[in-house]
Amino acid sequence: MCFVNVLKLACIGMLASLLAGCDGLGDDLQPTGQDQRQAVVAGTIGPEVTQLGPDFTLSDTLAATVTLSSERQASRAVVLYFTMWCSTCDEHMHSMRTTVVKDFPDVSFLLVDYVMGTVPYSRAAQLNAGYGDFRVLVDGEDGVENAYKATMGTTIVIDSLGVVRMNEDYKNGAKLKAVLEAL
Amino acid sequence: MGSTAWAASCCGGGSSASLVLPKFSKAMLDISMDVEQYDGYWNKSGKVVSDPPGSDLNQYRLNIGYAHRIASRWQASMTLPYVWNDNQYAGEISRTEGFGDASINVWYEAFDAIKCVWKVRNLNDLKPATYIGASLTVPTGVSPYDDVKNSFDVTGRGMYRLDGMLSFDKTIYPWNAAAQLVYGKYLQRPVNREYGDFKEPYDKRLGDRSVVSLSGGYTFFLESMDTVTLTMAYADLREQEGEINGSPNPITGMHKSSISNTVAFSTMDRDWVIKFTWSHALAYKNGGENFPITDVYTVGVSHVFR
Repeated sequence: MCFVNVLKLACIGMLASLLAGCDGLGDDLQPTGQDQRQAVVAGTIGPEVTQLGPDFTLSDTLAATVTLSSERQASRAVVLYFTMWCSTCDEHMHSMRTTVVKDFPDVSFLLVDYVMGTVPYSRAAQLNAGYGDFRVLVDGEDGVENAYKATMGTTIVIDSLGVVRMNEDYKNGAKLKAVLEAL
Repeated sequence: MGSTAWAASCCGGGSSASLVLPKFSKAMLDISMDVEQYDGYWNKSGKVVSDPPGSDLNQYRLNIGYAHRIASRWQASMTLPYVWNDNQYAGEISRTEGFGDASINVWYEAFDAIKCVWKVRNLNDLKPATYIGASLTVPTGVSPYDDVKNSFDVTGRGMYRLDGMLSFDKTIYPWNAAAQLVYGKYLQRPVNREYGDFKEPYDKRLGDRSVVSLSGGYTFFLESMDTVTLTMAYADLREQEGEINGSPNPITGMHKSSISNTVAFSTMDRDWVIKFTWSHALAYKNGGENFPITDVYTVGVSHVFR
Protein backbone atom coordinates (compact mmCIF):
# COMPACT_ATOMS: atom_id res chain seq x y z
CA MET A 1 0.00 0.00 0.00
CA CYS A 2 2.93 2.25 0.78
CA PHE A 3 4.22 1.75 -2.78
CA VAL A 4 0.81 2.68 -4.14
CA ASN A 5 0.85 5.92 -2.17
CA VAL A 6 4.30 6.74 -3.51
CA LEU A 7 3.03 6.13 -7.03
CA LYS A 8 0.04 8.36 -6.43
CA LEU A 9 2.29 11.15 -5.21
CA ALA A 10 4.60 10.65 -8.19
CA CYS A 11 1.67 10.95 -10.61
CA ILE A 12 0.36 14.06 -8.93
CA GLY A 13 3.85 15.56 -8.87
CA MET A 14 4.37 14.76 -12.54
CA LEU A 15 1.12 16.44 -13.54
CA ALA A 16 1.80 19.42 -11.30
CA SER A 17 5.24 19.96 -12.79
CA LEU A 18 3.71 19.77 -16.25
CA LEU A 19 1.05 22.28 -15.43
CA ALA A 20 3.67 24.50 -13.79
CA GLY A 21 5.10 25.31 -17.14
CA CYS A 22 7.16 23.22 -19.48
CA ASP A 23 7.84 25.14 -22.68
CA GLY A 24 4.61 26.26 -24.31
CA LEU A 25 2.38 24.03 -22.22
CA GLY A 26 0.29 26.83 -20.81
CA ASP A 27 -0.54 28.01 -24.31
CA ASP A 28 -2.79 25.02 -24.94
CA LEU A 29 -3.98 24.47 -21.37
CA GLN A 30 -5.18 28.06 -21.14
CA PRO A 31 -5.41 29.29 -24.73
CA THR A 32 -5.93 32.95 -25.40
CA GLY A 33 -7.56 34.77 -28.28
CA GLN A 34 -5.55 37.92 -27.67
CA ASP A 35 -4.10 39.42 -30.83
CA GLN A 36 -0.33 39.33 -30.30
CA ARG A 37 0.80 40.18 -33.80
CA GLN A 38 3.57 42.74 -33.91
CA ALA A 39 2.78 45.95 -35.73
CA VAL A 40 4.50 46.28 -39.09
CA VAL A 41 5.02 49.32 -41.28
CA ALA A 42 2.79 49.07 -44.34
CA GLY A 43 4.65 49.22 -47.61
CA THR A 44 7.95 47.89 -46.29
CA ILE A 45 9.33 44.62 -47.62
CA GLY A 46 8.17 41.65 -45.59
CA PRO A 47 5.77 38.70 -45.35
CA GLU A 48 3.14 40.23 -43.09
CA VAL A 49 -0.22 41.55 -44.17
CA THR A 50 0.08 45.14 -45.59
CA GLN A 51 3.79 44.66 -46.35
CA LEU A 52 5.20 44.26 -49.84
CA GLY A 53 5.90 40.59 -50.49
CA PRO A 54 9.58 39.85 -51.20
CA ASP A 55 10.14 39.21 -54.90
CA PHE A 56 11.58 35.87 -55.97
CA THR A 57 12.34 33.74 -58.97
CA LEU A 58 11.88 29.98 -58.92
CA SER A 59 11.65 27.16 -61.40
CA ASP A 60 8.36 25.36 -61.76
CA THR A 61 8.04 21.59 -62.18
CA LEU A 62 7.99 21.97 -65.97
CA ALA A 63 11.35 23.76 -65.72
CA ALA A 64 9.90 27.17 -66.62
CA THR A 65 11.11 30.20 -64.67
CA VAL A 66 8.51 32.04 -62.60
CA THR A 67 9.11 35.49 -61.11
CA LEU A 68 6.63 36.78 -58.56
CA SER A 69 6.62 40.38 -59.79
CA SER A 70 5.84 39.29 -63.36
CA GLU A 71 3.25 36.81 -62.19
CA ARG A 72 1.30 39.30 -60.09
CA GLN A 73 1.32 41.94 -62.80
CA ALA A 74 -0.22 39.45 -65.19
CA SER A 75 -3.06 38.55 -62.85
CA ARG A 76 -5.40 40.04 -60.27
CA ALA A 77 -3.46 38.39 -57.48
CA VAL A 78 -1.08 35.55 -56.73
CA VAL A 79 -1.92 32.83 -54.21
CA LEU A 80 1.02 30.86 -52.82
CA TYR A 81 0.26 27.61 -51.02
CA PHE A 82 3.20 25.85 -49.31
CA THR A 83 2.96 22.09 -49.69
CA MET A 84 4.95 19.09 -48.54
CA TRP A 85 2.58 16.60 -50.23
CA CYS A 86 1.26 15.25 -46.92
CA SER A 87 -2.32 14.28 -46.02
CA THR A 88 -3.07 17.69 -44.50
CA CYS A 89 -1.66 19.44 -47.56
CA ASP A 90 -3.75 17.18 -49.77
CA GLU A 91 -6.88 18.14 -47.86
CA HIS A 92 -6.06 21.84 -48.21
CA MET A 93 -5.21 21.60 -51.92
CA HIS A 94 -8.31 19.53 -52.61
CA SER A 95 -10.43 22.15 -50.86
CA MET A 96 -8.74 25.00 -52.72
CA ARG A 97 -9.17 23.26 -56.06
CA THR A 98 -12.84 22.44 -55.55
CA THR A 99 -14.09 25.53 -53.70
CA VAL A 100 -11.84 28.47 -54.58
CA VAL A 101 -9.82 28.15 -57.81
CA LYS A 102 -12.79 27.82 -60.15
CA ASP A 103 -14.28 31.11 -58.94
CA PHE A 104 -11.16 33.17 -59.62
CA PRO A 105 -9.89 32.51 -63.14
CA ASP A 106 -7.90 35.76 -63.12
CA VAL A 107 -5.92 34.81 -60.02
CA SER A 108 -2.66 32.86 -60.27
CA PHE A 109 -2.66 29.88 -57.87
CA LEU A 110 0.83 28.51 -57.28
CA LEU A 111 1.81 25.60 -55.06
CA VAL A 112 5.26 26.02 -53.51
CA ASP A 113 7.06 22.73 -52.85
CA TYR A 114 9.63 23.45 -50.16
CA VAL A 115 10.67 19.88 -49.36
CA MET A 116 11.48 17.89 -52.50
CA GLY A 117 14.50 19.97 -53.48
CA THR A 118 14.74 19.33 -57.22
CA VAL A 119 12.46 19.73 -60.22
CA PRO A 120 12.28 15.99 -61.12
CA TYR A 121 11.51 14.93 -57.53
CA SER A 122 8.98 17.70 -57.14
CA ARG A 123 7.28 16.82 -60.43
CA ALA A 124 7.09 13.17 -59.37
CA ALA A 125 5.55 14.12 -56.02
CA GLN A 126 3.07 16.46 -57.74
CA LEU A 127 1.85 13.74 -60.10
CA ASN A 128 1.86 11.08 -57.36
CA ALA A 129 -0.42 13.28 -55.26
CA GLY A 130 -2.71 13.98 -58.20
CA TYR A 131 -2.11 17.71 -58.66
CA GLY A 132 -0.82 17.79 -62.22
CA ASP A 133 -3.31 20.57 -63.00
CA PHE A 134 -1.59 23.03 -60.63
CA ARG A 135 1.56 25.01 -61.31
CA VAL A 136 4.15 24.01 -58.72
CA LEU A 137 7.21 26.08 -57.83
CA VAL A 138 10.30 24.30 -56.52
CA ASP A 139 11.76 26.11 -53.53
CA GLY A 140 14.91 24.01 -53.40
CA GLU A 141 16.90 26.28 -51.10
CA ASP A 142 13.91 27.16 -48.86
CA GLY A 143 14.53 30.81 -49.68
CA VAL A 144 10.90 31.64 -50.33
CA GLU A 145 9.74 29.55 -47.37
CA ASN A 146 12.01 31.56 -45.07
CA ALA A 147 11.30 34.93 -46.68
CA TYR A 148 7.57 34.43 -46.13
CA LYS A 149 7.92 32.69 -42.73
CA ALA A 150 5.93 29.86 -44.26
CA THR A 151 5.50 26.20 -43.41
CA MET A 152 3.12 23.37 -44.28
CA GLY A 153 -0.26 24.80 -45.21
CA THR A 154 0.73 28.45 -45.24
CA THR A 155 -1.43 30.34 -47.71
CA ILE A 156 -0.38 33.77 -48.95
CA VAL A 157 -2.28 36.22 -51.10
CA ILE A 158 -0.30 38.94 -52.87
CA ASP A 159 -2.22 41.50 -54.90
CA SER A 160 -1.19 42.94 -58.25
CA LEU A 161 0.70 45.77 -56.52
CA GLY A 162 2.72 43.33 -54.46
CA VAL A 163 0.91 43.92 -51.17
CA VAL A 164 0.49 40.88 -48.93
CA ARG A 165 -3.26 40.55 -48.25
CA MET A 166 -3.21 37.27 -46.31
CA ASN A 167 -0.58 35.06 -44.71
CA GLU A 168 -1.90 32.22 -42.55
CA ASP A 169 -2.60 28.49 -42.39
CA TYR A 170 -5.23 27.29 -44.87
CA LYS A 171 -8.52 26.66 -43.12
CA ASN A 172 -11.82 26.02 -44.84
CA GLY A 173 -11.24 28.33 -47.81
CA ALA A 174 -13.74 30.95 -46.62
CA LYS A 175 -11.11 33.49 -45.59
CA LEU A 176 -9.17 32.98 -48.83
CA LYS A 177 -12.30 33.55 -50.89
CA ALA A 178 -13.22 36.63 -48.90
CA VAL A 179 -9.77 38.13 -49.37
CA LEU A 180 -9.79 37.46 -53.11
CA GLU A 181 -13.32 38.83 -53.51
CA ALA A 182 -12.28 42.01 -51.73
CA LEU A 183 -9.51 42.77 -54.24
CA MET B 1 -3.49 8.28 -32.43
CA GLY B 2 -1.80 5.04 -31.57
CA SER B 3 -3.59 2.01 -30.23
CA THR B 4 -1.68 1.53 -27.06
CA ALA B 5 -1.60 -1.95 -25.54
CA TRP B 6 -3.22 -1.18 -22.25
CA ALA B 7 -4.09 -3.85 -19.70
CA ALA B 8 -6.04 -5.57 -18.35
CA SER B 9 -9.76 -6.64 -18.35
CA CYS B 10 -12.44 -7.53 -15.86
CA CYS B 11 -10.59 -10.65 -14.76
CA GLY B 12 -7.10 -9.50 -15.65
CA GLY B 13 -4.77 -11.10 -18.12
CA GLY B 14 -4.48 -8.43 -20.74
CA SER B 15 -7.26 -8.68 -23.30
CA SER B 16 -8.65 -5.17 -22.83
CA ALA B 17 -8.20 -2.28 -25.26
CA SER B 18 -8.31 0.28 -22.45
CA LEU B 19 -6.51 0.89 -19.20
CA VAL B 20 -8.97 -1.04 -17.06
CA LEU B 21 -8.32 -2.17 -13.54
CA PRO B 22 -9.35 -5.79 -12.87
CA LYS B 23 -12.28 -6.21 -10.51
CA PHE B 24 -11.40 -6.09 -6.80
CA SER B 25 -7.83 -4.94 -7.36
CA LYS B 26 -6.63 -1.67 -5.86
CA ALA B 27 -4.34 -0.15 -8.43
CA MET B 28 -2.38 -0.81 -11.57
CA LEU B 29 0.71 0.68 -13.16
CA ASP B 30 1.13 0.28 -16.89
CA ILE B 31 4.14 1.24 -18.96
CA SER B 32 4.38 0.73 -22.70
CA MET B 33 6.44 1.83 -25.63
CA ASP B 34 4.97 2.51 -29.08
CA VAL B 35 6.88 2.59 -32.32
CA GLU B 36 4.68 4.13 -35.03
CA GLN B 37 5.91 3.97 -38.61
CA TYR B 38 4.26 6.13 -41.25
CA ASP B 39 3.76 4.83 -44.76
CA GLY B 40 1.73 7.16 -46.95
CA TYR B 41 -1.78 8.41 -46.36
CA TRP B 42 -5.39 8.21 -47.48
CA ASN B 43 -6.40 11.31 -49.38
CA LYS B 44 -9.81 13.00 -49.31
CA SER B 45 -11.18 10.46 -51.79
CA GLY B 46 -9.95 7.49 -49.74
CA LYS B 47 -7.18 6.74 -52.22
CA VAL B 48 -3.85 5.52 -50.83
CA VAL B 49 -1.03 7.95 -51.68
CA SER B 50 2.58 7.07 -50.99
CA ASP B 51 5.03 9.38 -49.25
CA PRO B 52 7.76 11.03 -51.35
CA PRO B 53 10.84 8.88 -52.05
CA GLY B 54 13.40 8.97 -49.25
CA SER B 55 10.80 9.50 -46.53
CA ASP B 56 11.18 7.75 -43.18
CA LEU B 57 8.67 9.03 -40.63
CA ASN B 58 8.60 7.56 -37.14
CA GLN B 59 7.13 8.45 -33.80
CA TYR B 60 8.12 6.77 -30.54
CA ARG B 61 5.93 7.08 -27.45
CA LEU B 62 6.62 6.04 -23.88
CA ASN B 63 3.20 5.74 -22.24
CA ILE B 64 2.77 5.76 -18.50
CA GLY B 65 -0.63 4.82 -17.13
CA TYR B 66 -1.84 4.52 -13.60
CA ALA B 67 -5.27 3.27 -12.52
CA HIS B 68 -6.66 3.42 -9.01
CA ARG B 69 -9.80 2.07 -7.43
CA ILE B 70 -11.72 4.89 -5.82
CA ALA B 71 -14.82 2.89 -4.78
CA SER B 72 -16.08 -0.65 -5.11
CA ARG B 73 -17.52 0.05 -8.56
CA TRP B 74 -15.47 3.08 -9.56
CA GLN B 75 -11.97 3.40 -10.88
CA ALA B 76 -9.97 6.33 -12.17
CA SER B 77 -6.86 6.41 -14.31
CA MET B 78 -4.42 8.79 -15.88
CA THR B 79 -2.15 8.30 -18.86
CA LEU B 80 0.68 10.45 -20.08
CA PRO B 81 2.85 9.82 -23.14
CA TYR B 82 6.32 11.15 -23.82
CA VAL B 83 6.89 11.46 -27.54
CA TRP B 84 9.92 11.40 -29.78
CA ASN B 85 9.48 12.42 -33.42
CA ASP B 86 12.15 11.13 -35.77
CA ASN B 87 11.46 12.17 -39.33
CA GLN B 88 13.22 12.22 -42.63
CA TYR B 89 10.93 13.61 -45.26
CA ALA B 90 12.41 14.14 -48.71
CA GLY B 91 15.26 16.53 -47.90
CA GLU B 92 14.08 17.52 -44.42
CA ILE B 93 15.46 15.83 -41.31
CA SER B 94 13.86 16.54 -37.95
CA ARG B 95 14.16 15.09 -34.44
CA THR B 96 12.05 16.54 -31.64
CA GLU B 97 10.57 15.33 -28.38
CA GLY B 98 8.12 16.35 -25.69
CA PHE B 99 5.09 15.28 -23.71
CA GLY B 100 2.03 14.19 -25.63
CA ASP B 101 -1.57 14.83 -24.65
CA ALA B 102 -2.56 13.37 -21.29
CA SER B 103 -5.87 11.76 -20.47
CA ILE B 104 -7.82 11.41 -17.26
CA ASN B 105 -10.40 8.64 -17.18
CA VAL B 106 -13.17 7.49 -14.89
CA TRP B 107 -14.92 4.11 -15.23
CA TYR B 108 -18.05 2.83 -13.55
CA GLU B 109 -18.32 -0.96 -13.36
CA ALA B 110 -21.94 -1.91 -13.93
CA PHE B 111 -21.52 -5.34 -12.35
CA ASP B 112 -20.67 -6.80 -8.96
CA ALA B 113 -18.99 -10.12 -9.62
CA ILE B 114 -16.26 -11.14 -12.01
CA LYS B 115 -17.81 -12.06 -15.34
CA CYS B 116 -15.20 -14.53 -16.51
CA VAL B 117 -16.56 -18.09 -16.45
CA TRP B 118 -15.33 -21.52 -17.38
CA LYS B 119 -18.67 -22.93 -18.36
CA VAL B 120 -22.04 -21.49 -19.27
CA ARG B 121 -24.59 -22.97 -16.90
CA ASN B 122 -27.34 -20.38 -17.22
CA LEU B 123 -28.12 -17.10 -18.92
CA ASN B 124 -26.38 -15.11 -16.20
CA ASP B 125 -23.11 -16.70 -17.22
CA LEU B 126 -23.43 -14.97 -20.58
CA LYS B 127 -23.61 -11.48 -19.12
CA PRO B 128 -20.57 -9.39 -20.01
CA ALA B 129 -18.66 -7.06 -17.75
CA THR B 130 -20.01 -3.65 -18.67
CA TYR B 131 -18.14 -0.44 -18.06
CA ILE B 132 -19.39 3.11 -18.51
CA GLY B 133 -16.68 5.71 -18.64
CA ALA B 134 -15.67 9.26 -19.33
CA SER B 135 -12.33 10.57 -20.43
CA LEU B 136 -10.85 14.04 -20.60
CA THR B 137 -7.97 14.59 -22.99
CA VAL B 138 -5.75 17.38 -21.70
CA PRO B 139 -3.57 19.18 -24.26
CA THR B 140 -0.23 18.76 -22.50
CA GLY B 141 1.49 18.03 -25.80
CA VAL B 142 3.12 20.40 -28.25
CA SER B 143 0.56 21.56 -30.80
CA PRO B 144 0.62 23.64 -34.01
CA TYR B 145 -0.57 26.56 -31.86
CA ASP B 146 2.54 26.52 -29.68
CA ASP B 147 5.93 28.04 -30.37
CA VAL B 148 6.96 25.41 -32.91
CA LYS B 149 8.67 25.65 -36.27
CA ASN B 150 6.73 23.10 -38.28
CA SER B 151 4.47 20.07 -38.16
CA PHE B 152 7.37 17.72 -37.34
CA ASP B 153 7.59 19.32 -33.88
CA VAL B 154 4.01 18.48 -32.96
CA THR B 155 3.28 15.91 -30.22
CA GLY B 156 -0.35 16.78 -29.40
CA ARG B 157 -3.48 18.30 -30.90
CA GLY B 158 -3.83 21.33 -28.66
CA MET B 159 -7.49 20.71 -27.85
CA TYR B 160 -9.41 19.50 -24.80
CA ARG B 161 -11.71 16.60 -25.60
CA LEU B 162 -14.40 14.94 -23.53
CA ASP B 163 -15.24 11.32 -24.37
CA GLY B 164 -18.09 9.12 -23.27
CA MET B 165 -17.18 5.43 -23.32
CA LEU B 166 -19.02 2.15 -23.16
CA SER B 167 -17.12 -1.10 -22.89
CA PHE B 168 -18.20 -4.74 -22.84
CA ASP B 169 -15.89 -7.55 -21.96
CA LYS B 170 -16.73 -11.26 -21.73
CA THR B 171 -14.53 -14.25 -21.07
CA ILE B 172 -15.70 -17.82 -21.32
CA TYR B 173 -12.41 -19.60 -20.95
CA PRO B 174 -10.47 -20.04 -23.06
CA TRP B 175 -12.27 -17.53 -25.32
CA ASN B 176 -12.81 -13.83 -24.78
CA ALA B 177 -14.51 -11.02 -26.64
CA ALA B 178 -14.76 -7.30 -26.10
CA ALA B 179 -16.41 -4.29 -27.67
CA GLN B 180 -15.85 -0.63 -27.02
CA LEU B 181 -17.76 2.42 -28.19
CA VAL B 182 -16.39 5.92 -27.73
CA TYR B 183 -17.93 9.25 -28.65
CA GLY B 184 -15.96 12.39 -28.06
CA LYS B 185 -16.48 16.14 -28.38
CA TYR B 186 -13.63 18.58 -28.71
CA LEU B 187 -14.00 21.85 -26.89
CA GLN B 188 -13.71 25.03 -28.90
CA ARG B 189 -10.61 27.11 -28.25
CA PRO B 190 -9.22 30.45 -29.41
CA VAL B 191 -6.15 30.34 -31.63
CA ASN B 192 -3.79 33.27 -32.07
CA ARG B 193 -0.67 31.49 -33.29
CA GLU B 194 0.14 28.99 -36.04
CA TYR B 195 3.48 27.22 -36.16
CA GLY B 196 5.17 29.88 -34.06
CA ASP B 197 3.83 32.99 -35.80
CA PHE B 198 1.10 35.08 -34.23
CA LYS B 199 -1.91 35.40 -36.53
CA GLU B 200 -5.28 37.09 -36.53
CA PRO B 201 -7.15 35.32 -33.68
CA TYR B 202 -9.99 32.93 -34.45
CA ASP B 203 -11.97 30.18 -32.74
CA LYS B 204 -11.43 26.57 -33.71
CA ARG B 205 -13.15 23.33 -32.84
CA LEU B 206 -12.32 19.89 -34.19
CA GLY B 207 -15.17 17.60 -35.19
CA ASP B 208 -16.87 15.01 -33.03
CA ARG B 209 -14.94 11.78 -32.79
CA SER B 210 -16.23 8.21 -32.69
CA VAL B 211 -14.39 4.95 -32.20
CA VAL B 212 -15.80 1.45 -32.50
CA SER B 213 -13.54 -1.45 -31.65
CA LEU B 214 -14.29 -5.16 -31.56
CA SER B 215 -11.96 -7.88 -30.42
CA GLY B 216 -11.80 -11.59 -29.85
CA GLY B 217 -9.15 -13.72 -28.24
CA TYR B 218 -8.05 -17.11 -27.02
CA THR B 219 -6.14 -17.96 -23.86
CA PHE B 220 -3.62 -20.74 -23.59
CA PHE B 221 -2.88 -22.06 -20.12
CA LEU B 222 0.68 -23.09 -19.50
CA GLU B 223 1.67 -25.87 -17.10
CA SER B 224 2.51 -23.27 -14.48
CA MET B 225 -1.00 -21.84 -14.97
CA ASP B 226 0.52 -18.70 -16.40
CA THR B 227 -1.39 -17.71 -19.50
CA VAL B 228 -0.74 -16.53 -23.02
CA THR B 229 -3.64 -14.71 -24.64
CA LEU B 230 -3.87 -13.98 -28.34
CA THR B 231 -6.26 -11.20 -29.31
CA MET B 232 -7.30 -9.84 -32.67
CA ALA B 233 -9.13 -6.52 -32.86
CA TYR B 234 -10.69 -4.24 -35.44
CA ALA B 235 -11.02 -0.53 -34.84
CA ASP B 236 -12.80 2.18 -36.81
CA LEU B 237 -11.99 5.79 -35.96
CA ARG B 238 -13.85 8.75 -37.44
CA GLU B 239 -13.75 12.47 -36.91
CA GLN B 240 -16.42 14.69 -38.37
CA GLU B 241 -15.76 18.12 -39.82
CA GLY B 242 -14.83 20.83 -37.34
CA GLU B 243 -15.62 24.52 -37.13
CA ILE B 244 -13.74 27.78 -37.70
CA ASN B 245 -15.43 30.78 -36.11
CA GLY B 246 -18.64 28.77 -36.01
CA SER B 247 -18.56 27.91 -39.73
CA PRO B 248 -18.04 24.33 -40.97
CA ASN B 249 -14.45 23.30 -41.55
CA PRO B 250 -14.45 20.12 -43.63
CA ILE B 251 -10.65 20.13 -43.73
CA THR B 252 -10.34 18.37 -40.38
CA GLY B 253 -12.67 15.41 -40.97
CA MET B 254 -10.94 12.04 -41.16
CA HIS B 255 -11.37 8.27 -41.01
CA LYS B 256 -9.06 5.40 -40.16
CA SER B 257 -9.64 1.67 -39.90
CA SER B 258 -7.11 -0.74 -38.51
CA ILE B 259 -6.63 -4.24 -37.21
CA SER B 260 -4.39 -5.24 -34.36
CA ASN B 261 -2.95 -8.46 -33.04
CA THR B 262 -1.86 -8.80 -29.44
CA VAL B 263 -0.03 -11.49 -27.56
CA ALA B 264 -0.13 -11.12 -23.78
CA PHE B 265 1.69 -13.17 -21.19
CA SER B 266 0.19 -13.12 -17.71
CA THR B 267 1.36 -14.70 -14.51
CA MET B 268 -0.94 -17.17 -12.78
CA ASP B 269 -2.15 -14.57 -10.27
CA ARG B 270 -2.69 -12.04 -13.12
CA ASP B 271 -0.55 -9.50 -11.28
CA TRP B 272 1.93 -9.08 -14.11
CA VAL B 273 1.06 -8.79 -17.79
CA ILE B 274 3.54 -8.39 -20.62
CA LYS B 275 2.03 -7.48 -23.97
CA PHE B 276 3.07 -7.02 -27.55
CA THR B 277 0.69 -5.48 -30.07
CA TRP B 278 0.97 -4.87 -33.78
CA SER B 279 -1.62 -2.45 -35.11
CA HIS B 280 -1.90 -2.20 -38.86
CA ALA B 281 -3.87 0.42 -40.75
CA LEU B 282 -5.91 -1.10 -43.57
CA ALA B 283 -4.06 0.48 -46.47
CA TYR B 284 -6.58 -0.07 -49.20
CA LYS B 285 -8.94 2.34 -50.98
CA ASN B 286 -11.58 3.68 -48.59
CA GLY B 287 -9.87 2.04 -45.61
CA GLY B 288 -9.44 5.61 -44.42
CA GLU B 289 -9.69 9.23 -45.44
CA ASN B 290 -7.51 12.26 -44.93
CA PHE B 291 -5.21 10.47 -42.52
CA PRO B 292 -1.72 8.95 -42.42
CA ILE B 293 -1.34 5.19 -42.83
CA THR B 294 0.75 3.69 -40.07
CA ASP B 295 1.88 0.53 -38.37
CA VAL B 296 2.18 0.69 -34.59
CA TYR B 297 4.28 -1.78 -32.62
CA THR B 298 3.74 -1.70 -28.86
CA VAL B 299 5.51 -3.46 -26.02
CA GLY B 300 4.06 -3.00 -22.58
CA VAL B 301 4.12 -4.29 -19.04
CA SER B 302 1.57 -3.77 -16.31
CA HIS B 303 1.44 -4.63 -12.66
CA VAL B 304 -1.70 -4.98 -10.60
CA PHE B 305 -1.70 -4.12 -6.89
CA ARG B 306 -4.20 -6.24 -4.97
